[in-house]
Amino acid sequence: MAGEILIEVGIALTALAIGGALAVRVNQSVIPMYIVAGILVGPNVPTALGPIPLTLVENHEFIDVLAELGVVFLLFFLGLEFNIERLVEGWNKLVGIGTVDFVLNFGVGIAIGFAFGFTLIETLFVAGIVYISSSAVITKSLIDRGWIANPESEAILGTLVFEDILIAVYLAVLSAVALGGGGLDEAAISVGIAFAFLGGLTLLAWYGTEYVERAFTVDSDELFLLRVLGVTTLVAGGALALGVSEAVAAFFVGTAFSTTGHTHRIETVVAPARDLFAAVFFFSIGLTTDVTVIAGVAALLAVAVVATTLTKLASGTAGGFLYGLNRRRSLRVGVGLVPRGEFSLVIAALATSVGTGALGTTIPAFAVGYVLLMSILGTTLMGYADSLTAYSGEVSLSGSS
Amino acid sequence: MTVYETDVPGVGRKFEYELDGEDRLVVLIHHDGKREVFRRPSEDADGTKLFELNDKQAREFGTILEGAYFQPVDLDSVDVPLGESIIEWTDLPAGSSLEGESLRDAEIRQRTGTSVIAVQRDDETVANPGSEFELRAGDILVTLGTRDEQQALDDLLAA
Repeated sequence: MAGEILIEVGIALTALAIGGALAVRVNQSVIPMYIVAGILVGPNVPTALGPIPLTLVENHEFIDVLAELGVVFLLFFLGLEFNIERLVEGWNKLVGIGTVDFVLNFGVGIAIGFAFGFTLIETLFVAGIVYISSSAVITKSLIDRGWIANPESEAILGTLVFEDILIAVYLAVLSAVALGGGGLDEAAISVGIAFAFLGGLTLLAWYGTEYVERAFTVDSDELFLLRVLGVTTLVAGGALALGVSEAVAAFFVGTAFSTTGHTHRIETVVAPARDLFAAVFFFSIGLTTDVTVIAGVAALLAVAVVATTLTKLASGTAGGFLYGLNRRRSLRVGVGLVPRGEFSLVIAALATSVGTGALGTTIPAFAVGYVLLMSILGTTLMGYADSLTAYSGEVSLSGSS
Repeated sequence: MTVYETDVPGVGRKFEYELDGEDRLVVLIHHDGKREVFRRPSEDADGTKLFELNDKQAREFGTILEGAYFQPVDLDSVDVPLGESIIEWTDLPAGSSLEGESLRDAEIRQRTGTSVIAVQRDDETVANPGSEFELRAGDILVTLGTRDEQQALDDLLAA
């Protein structure tokens, strides 16, 4: 028995390794390829490739646990990298670009949700999935394309910071409402509990800097890693037991670390663990995805992809102008924010865990199809934008090479 | 000189260093120590990636830029084949008493203890010059000798 499980884990990790290698080769984000790897070797269609059986990995509990840790540490790092000073400093510029981004993209999500006959809660899920851009895909593309050296990267990264704080609040409210279930009173109570718990964590993050600094000072990298993993997972688990989003709890644990001197060490020591958990999370999304269900939401997908690509282009470009960039750079801000990825899937995973009505099947399947298309479309668009908006003036240095 | 510093979430820190006018060097330092260096010729132009270095390379290269580069040597294993002697390069000034003398007549070894192993004249280096070799003002004598002997040579040439 143990042998079989070990083989399945081996197949899962090997599939991820191959998927990742392919993604890097074609200059794409690894996220869609991890999902595809999960779909291919998972229990759903395709089940066989000619004579070769393709139902190699069942959706075991250990995959679920690792995937859950993936969500926790994706949000933990989001919190860690969340820079409150940057938000406050750039507030005047960020509030404009962030508001336009939210109103247009969340708004179009709401419109799509109602147009396709979803309930209010389901619509809020759809809106969240199409609103949030992917920090992972976008940051990688910014570096690959060299945009990171240009002023448009400031506007793009600023928008992502704004989205981060909104998504934390959104997840806290939505999970309290969705997991609390029932009537308005119960929803109000669970939102209350959520904010009390998160308020406590925020106070700890704000005033406990010195304590956190001392508690995590240890020479050995190994012990440091275990402490961070242990405390973060424990707080996230405690939150979930109280009906509070574990992801948001992890986000606040991350912010508690962000003002300490441990940030750099976490980036080097804990990031590999995050990468492993997150890869398994994307893989498990693939495992539970039934491609035939995605085909069933083709109309919704088509409308969402077209509409939300356009709204992101519009909001990003408008944001670029608000940021004081010229036309060429503003357009790039719009294109740069098109990719969606990990956080849309985190929202989808929350929908799956609620599991009632469309939240159990349609919305997760929609999210997977949507992220697959948008992450690839977004990265590709950035390649085109590069040539469309290329600087046509005198270029020194690069001209000779 | 102005340096702009910003956080790049999940990646590291970015520094923009102002050169002349609008020209800027942009250095991206990744959390894993990798440095990527871009150059943006003007506010409107796109950054062009110049090169990237790993952490160790960047530190070594940095000391070269700083003008402080040196190769640390393990003193225990240093081998000094010359014993107490060192090699010095000494100018023969115009008006020196040795100007116009052949090496034989100059009797440098007898008078100072140093041996002339080469003479640099303009762009040319005459290695192991013969006893007939005639010294001229502006020559650079390459000599082997102890510090005291080299000092004696300095004094002789200046005389």
